[in-house]
Amino acid sequence: MAQTTLPGLHIIDGIAAPTPGALLRQRILRHWGLLSGGLILAAIVAMAIFAPLLAPHDPYDQDLARKLIPPVWHLSAKASWTYPLGTDHLGRDYLSRLLYGSRISLLIGFSAMLISGVIGTTLGVLAGYFGGRVDTAVNFIVTTRLAMPVVLVALAVVSLVGSSLTVVIWVLGLLLWDRFAVVMRSATQQVRSREFIVAAQAVGCSTPRILLAEVAPNVLNHLIVIATLEMAQAILLEAALSFLGLGVQPPTPSWGLMVSEAKGLMFFDPWLIAIPGIALFLLVLSINMLGDGLRDVTAPENRG
Amino acid sequence: MVAFTAKRLGVALLVALTVSLITFSMIFVSGDPAVAIAGEGARAEDVDAIRKFYGFDRPIPVQYADWLTGALKGDLGRSYTLRQPVADVIASRLPVTLALGASAILFALVLAIPLGVVAAVRPNSFIDRFALLVAVVGQAMPSFWFALTLILWLGVYWRLLPITGSDHWQNFVMPAIALGYYVTPAVMRLTRAGVLEVLSSDYIRTARAKGLRPAKVLFKHALRNAIIPVVSLAAVQFGFMLGGSIVIETIFQINGLGYLAWESIQRKDLPVMQAIVLVLSVIYVLLTLAADLLNAALDPRLRTS
Amino acid sequence: MISARLLRAGFVVAGVMASIGLASGPASAGKKDNSLIWATDRDNPVADPFYLNTRELVVIGHHVWDTLVIIDPKTSEIKPLLATKWNWVNTTTLDMELRTDVKFHSGKPMDADDVVYTLNHVSKKENAIANFALLSWIKEAEKLDKYKVRIHLHKPFPPALAYLAGLGFIMEKGHYDKAPVRPDGKKDFGAVPPNGTGPYKVTEVTPGERIVMEKNTSYFKGGFKGDPAIAKIIFRTIKDSNTRAAELMTGAIDWIWDVPKDQAERLTANPALVVQNAKTLRVSYLQFDAHGVSGQKFFTDKRVRQAVAHAINRESLTKNLVGPASVVAHSPCHPDQFACAYDVTHYAYDPEKAKALLKEAGYPNGLDFDLYAYRDREYTEAVIGDLAKVGLRAKLTYLQYTAFLEAVHKGRTPIAHGTWGSNSIPDVSAMTAHFFLGGPDDLTKDPEVKKLIEQADSLTDSAQRREAWKKPLQRIADEAFWVPLFTYAKYYAFSKDLAFTPTSDEIPQFFAAHWK
Repeated sequence: MAQTTLPGLHIIDGIAAPTPGALLRQRILRHWGLLSGGLILAAIVAMAIFAPLLAPHDPYDQDLARKLIPPVWHLSAKASWTYPLGTDHLGRDYLSRLLYGSRISLLIGFSAMLISGVIGTTLGVLAGYFGGRVDTAVNFIVTTRLAMPVVLVALAVVSLVGSSLTVVIWVLGLLLWDRFAVVMRSATQQVRSREFIVAAQAVGCSTPRILLAEVAPNVLNHLIVIATLEMAQAILLEAALSFLGLGVQPPTPSWGLMVSEAKGLMFFDPWLIAIPGIALFLLVLSINMLGDGLRDVTAPENRG
Repeated sequence: MVAFTAKRLGVALLVALTVSLITFSMIFVSGDPAVAIAGEGARAEDVDAIRKFYGFDRPIPVQYADWLTGALKGDLGRSYTLRQPVADVIASRLPVTLALGASAILFALVLAIPLGVVAAVRPNSFIDRFALLVAVVGQAMPSFWFALTLILWLGVYWRLLPITGSDHWQNFVMPAIALGYYVTPAVMRLTRAGVLEVLSSDYIRTARAKGLRPAKVLFKHALRNAIIPVVSLAAVQFGFMLGGSIVIETIFQINGLGYLAWESIQRKDLPVMQAIVLVLSVIYVLLTLAADLLNAALDPRLRTS
Repeated sequence: MISARLLRAGFVVAGVMASIGLASGPASAGKKDNSLIWATDRDNPVADPFYLNTRELVVIGHHVWDTLVIIDPKTSEIKPLLATKWNWVNTTTLDMELRTDVKFHSGKPMDADDVVYTLNHVSKKENAIANFALLSWIKEAEKLDKYKVRIHLHKPFPPALAYLAGLGFIMEKGHYDKAPVRPDGKKDFGAVPPNGTGPYKVTEVTPGERIVMEKNTSYFKGGFKGDPAIAKIIFRTIKDSNTRAAELMTGAIDWIWDVPKDQAERLTANPALVVQNAKTLRVSYLQFDAHGVSGQKFFTDKRVRQAVAHAINRESLTKNLVGPASVVAHSPCHPDQFACAYDVTHYAYDPEKAKALLKEAGYPNGLDFDLYAYRDREYTEAVIGDLAKVGLRAKLTYLQYTAFLEAVHKGRTPIAHGTWGSNSIPDVSAMTAHFFLGGPDDLTKDPEVKKLIEQADSLTDSAQRREAWKKPLQRIADEAFWVPLFTYAKYYAFSKDLAFTPTSDEIPQFFAAHWK
């Protein structure tokens, strides 16, 4: 299970350019996946940050008298620009909930990724740098973790501990570090045998210093790629947990929860599940494309 | 090969043991199970009786050892809410989930391998682009949402397939697509990469130079070599999929292990949850073991690690 | 993105497809083989109506078993069923004469021994039937002769016959002797395979999935339930209301109820279906943890409870969410139930007053608490939304019914959003007494209310009893021990080929239904 099947967006590399910096810039600009992924993600992040300014209404403000107004493109007399994406089953503005929902997805995705990143990177770098018994031990821990069914364990733990935003973040963070560990391990292994590390060891630098000053900067590009993948993964899992009713609890707007709440009317008003579903899809897609693109650009030789 | 097998087997056993320990420790976050079973109105002596009956009064290591020896003998304990032994319930539900997993992996392979091969043979062609789209979409689409969309179209609008249940093979079509689509990208990428690699290798060039027809080269040589990692990936993904079936089985109400897990989670029925986690982990460990051994048997270079 | 555009186009296509699909209409699942499939959200792991308190088992109970008497839902009159006639010897003694032509599904003829056995079993507290409070008025049953039974009451209990009609299902003598023993040493009575005298017999119980009933061909002739037409009735558990609707639209099932209003209104457009809204005895309510045993003590304070009552816009709930047959509830009972008084303290929708009460109680910034619910999540969410507007921030724990009940019984629920259908018994005691006489569902445990109810239910004169019942109901309203929310109006949706009439007692009479 050492191989990680990273997504491969492929594009013809630029012909060799004079300086590494210029080369990188050129690659970035030529990589449509990276660019569009970055743009969509930037737009969603901006949505999250400026949600209070952008949202036309309070996302929690319910009024049963104006429930289930269809979105503005709908051929219904009720549709209007007052509620551009319509209202949900409790009369809450769908656009506002969608905007605020991006905060939940990003917050959970980012925090869970940070937690799993710290755990996985630590384990992976230690295993890759020290090798031997440490490596065997880390390998064993990773294998054990992979043997546990993630969704099931996450659901079980959340149901036993009680669901809240914090619990969801921690559970996902504690479960999703395996890819960090695997990739960091092999990246560190590659770096370990290079001359500058051997040189640092020879002049008597302390191990922590070598790890932080010499190893870390050289495995960073791998780290970013995995971070994007894991963030996407965490966002999808949060949505699934919320969809099953064990993630974020109402009335907090979460995209997974919005799909869950709307599925009662999905056969009649499909836009209710289409809107949050497409939002989730775009967010995860943009993060994935960004990650793929970053990998292509920083390490074109590693494309799968 | 014998030494390699023995070593892998040892690791697999150790992993299974560790998983069992972690699974068992779920009891620590669940509160006092005796009180949970008895209910609040229960008298103290009832709670004591339950504690004795289930053996919660014994030291934790003893309980663990007991649970483990039971599990080895096929006794997964007593459910808090169901009237059957946990092992019986799991035995009746597991085949359904295995059938679902198998249909899903079949769907994924049937979709992914041809796409991957064509994408490799004709890089940057329309098929290659399409394969890329399938991969990117598959990775980013929430599985529950995809499942609902399938129900909406195939089930309600077009009336092609039944929506819930697990009595008929037709019941498995939509869930298998929903579950299988998610692993399609990984299989496709691996196929594409494998075929590309083999096609550029020396012996294929030799075969081509000898004037063998391209199709023959592709199927006789390239595919056979490229398919090995795909098969082992499929085995591993199958294990993942069994774990992921909880969402899909819940949506389609398929009476398999995933749906059982979901019900037990709602009822906080710890022994059932523990047993399902353990069973799925053991299946996963066995599958990876089989994949490792298969790879090693086919490619002797791997035996050194 | 390409895919997003594709998807959007897809939904347009889907809309077109939908109109084609709906016009073609579903092929009914059961019509071809004269069977009927009905589905609800609840899991019924056993089929014994005494040992699992769900509406489905009340329904199944009336198909698989018979009661001594039965209430005609059209006229609310008590009609004979297993008993041919009855006679009050005095206020605490009731004599009943039985039919002589009734057989259990096991083949054994039914007589006085079975009735005596059943009534004595269910009225013993140690046998712990789920609805013990509803039959606890029975002191003892006694055999007078082979087809004559005498029932002794602890004290006068005027609505006794209504209760017997509601859930006095007659079991075969010795039925529960076969019960297996549970881990805690108690007998698992519910696990005994069902055996009744009713028009249908249970042929399959698959926990979490289905209960199958087949027509009892040797059912006695000339009874109230008549001669059943449908050969096989299958109950299915389908958790999701939208999946149930989808299955109905595609004809995989024939009959659903508890359809949410929005869905029902849209299903009306489907020419292959009949959608009806009918009044029911079910009442939706909030029950407070009035003693703070859940660890959250807010609701021990009357002002906080009153704030909750003022915060919820119940008019809007009934009008916009429930349906035309729903009304706002003011007491923990249904206005159609005998002696259920609604002329008690009313709590009008008044968010400002709610905020003021909270401030007065020492929570100017509002408070955070847990709210448990099990049914009609959108109603609960609407309640939570209203509460949030005054600073009552509820964290929802949404459970399956059995898990919800367990949480209530264990006192884990600061607020429980429940519903109660009174087992279709049209008498106030079927609801209020169930929740306020100290049973497991009683979180209030107010000795004063209990005393007042006991006083009222000792009166045999209807007018006096009605008057006396006002007192406990008034106290419950004054103290805001509960916030009764609204009465349910139930949307039924079923195949247009099915001849079926909903009844207000919420006991669908499948035995009287047939395919056109």
